[in-house]
Amino acid sequence: MTRFTKSKKLVGLLCFALFAALLAAAVSGRVSISFFEIFHMFSNIYNGIASKGELLSKELVFFWIRLPRCIMAIFVGASLAVSGAVYQALFRNPLVSPDILGVSAGCTFGAALGLVLPFQSFTLVHIISFFFGILAVSMSVGLAKAISIKPVIILVLAGMVVLSFFNALLMILKYFSDPYGALPSIIFWVMGSLSRVTWDNVLIMGLFAVAGVTLFMVLRFRLNILSLGDIQAKSLGMNPSFFRVLLIVTSSLMVAASVATCGQISWLGLIIPHMARSLVGPRHEMVIPVTALMGALFLLVADSLARSISAAEIPVGIITALAGAPIFGYLMYKNRGTGWI
Amino acid sequence: MDLILECQSLCFRYNGNEVLNNISFKAGTGRFYAVLGRNGSGKTTLIHCLNKILTPVSGKVLIHGKDIASLTRNDIAKQISLVPQEHLDIFPYKVIDVIVMGRAPFLKIASSPEPEDYEIAGKALKDLNAEDLAHKNFNQISGGERQITLLARALAQATKIMLLDEPTNHLDFNNQYNLLSCIKNLCKSKGISIIASMHDPNMAALFSDEVIMIKDSNIMAQGRTESVMTKENISRLYDTDTSAILLNKEKKFFLPSKVIEDR
Repeated sequence: MTRFTKSKKLVGLLCFALFAALLAAAVSGRVSISFFEIFHMFSNIYNGIASKGELLSKELVFFWIRLPRCIMAIFVGASLAVSGAVYQALFRNPLVSPDILGVSAGCTFGAALGLVLPFQSFTLVHIISFFFGILAVSMSVGLAKAISIKPVIILVLAGMVVLSFFNALLMILKYFSDPYGALPSIIFWVMGSLSRVTWDNVLIMGLFAVAGVTLFMVLRFRLNILSLGDIQAKSLGMNPSFFRVLLIVTSSLMVAASVATCGQISWLGLIIPHMARSLVGPRHEMVIPVTALMGALFLLVADSLARSISAAEIPVGIITALAGAPIFGYLMYKNRGTGWI
Repeated sequence: MDLILECQSLCFRYNGNEVLNNISFKAGTGRFYAVLGRNGSGKTTLIHCLNKILTPVSGKVLIHGKDIASLTRNDIAKQISLVPQEHLDIFPYKVIDVIVMGRAPFLKIASSPEPEDYEIAGKALKDLNAEDLAHKNFNQISGGERQITLLARALAQATKIMLLDEPTNHLDFNNQYNLLSCIKNLCKSKGISIIASMHDPNMAALFSDEVIMIKDSNIMAQGRTESVMTKENISRLYDTDTSAILLNKEKKFFLPSKVIEDR
């Protein structure tokens, strides 16, 4: 039973690291805000005193730009990573990421469509993006249901069909859009960024993230059983098709909400579950909480780097991909022969 | 004989092709039933119909007189366990973690296995004299050890009926006998009814109490092993002339005649 307590310690350690990273993220960035000033802001709010002068502008930056952005990074990081872990269990394949059923491709096309359309409203872009993400997944699942043999492989193939379809639509939009106006915004969208996050977005994303992670935590032992495949899941008393649809819909909602507000943040859904598994083993009782915490931590750190490493902000998707590739390579090397790959 | 499972005129079609037609048999407590047939004759399909992994086109399967069509999967899993054909490429769970999954039907949907469940899983492994496997990686043990693990998981499921799908596939000469003796012991000591699809008629002759022979989607012969396992029946079942060699007064060993004539 030692490994149980060891894993619990890791969860505690990750919670602490996440909190520490949140504090570090709060004081890093182009506008320098010190711990003392943050303490001062909170004490002013508590005592009902209005901040003055420089502190007021720093307070605006902190409460309306930096804090929502940090919290958003936590929600999005946890959502993308944990959906990846769930997808990998459902498809019994460690190379699967939440993009496989076309949710990201659909969201990106939707966002591009919103950016090309003449109404200049970011809320509208988010809504169209979310809608197309969910539409893409529904098309994949619907197509697979219509074919209805060998459910898992057909679902992956159907996902590939839908994914290429939406990528083609995106290409058409890019080709016809204004190279000095809409095209650059589409390209920046695809790179993924947490700038322009507002409290409204955070609230909606938080709703999806908390609901999704809660559902996965509730079903974490059942994910082990689903990962054995349909025949064994049925013989152990579960209805795999029902749980597959439930879990795919939930993960897709989480990913769509993430991509619709922050664009495509690559690699998180693929590598974080692997990192978690190499630390705590394959049991989803531990993989789910550890993946969620590590995903949140990873994106929070990556985003803090993205906005403080240079004067101009780097899209966070670049940092996650740049850091993700070598980490993944190292993990594959380190865990060779242990059978988890 | 204490009736526990009954299969009534079961029919199954796959893409319009008839796989099973009018299959009926009764199974009693603590007995070992072997299902024999050529490759692709529908042995696995029959096994999968018995615990609703597949739903038959017509016919019924009754457990203690209750139609399984009206039972939930969870209720069925409390009464029937399955040892599937060897499989791989799942996540590298520890053997004990694979076995504890057999407790799933007894856990609430939101709960994880408790220490008691791990105790039951450990005991199942101990019953099969394989305690040293507990903390090994399921993907890195031998085929025989994997079968033992899956058998232990079925034991942890604590069911009165156990289905086995070609349990001796991929096992070496000695392990085939070890595994089947183990299964036979479970029948006797725990009163578990076994229904196993098998590809080797000699194994069926040695270990089973009753045999069900499936040919061209229908039951060709069924009954007590001693009376059904004749060289005539086996010749018909596998479409090849078969000779029987007497090992002692009761035991016979079957071989295709052409192999003997070639010598």
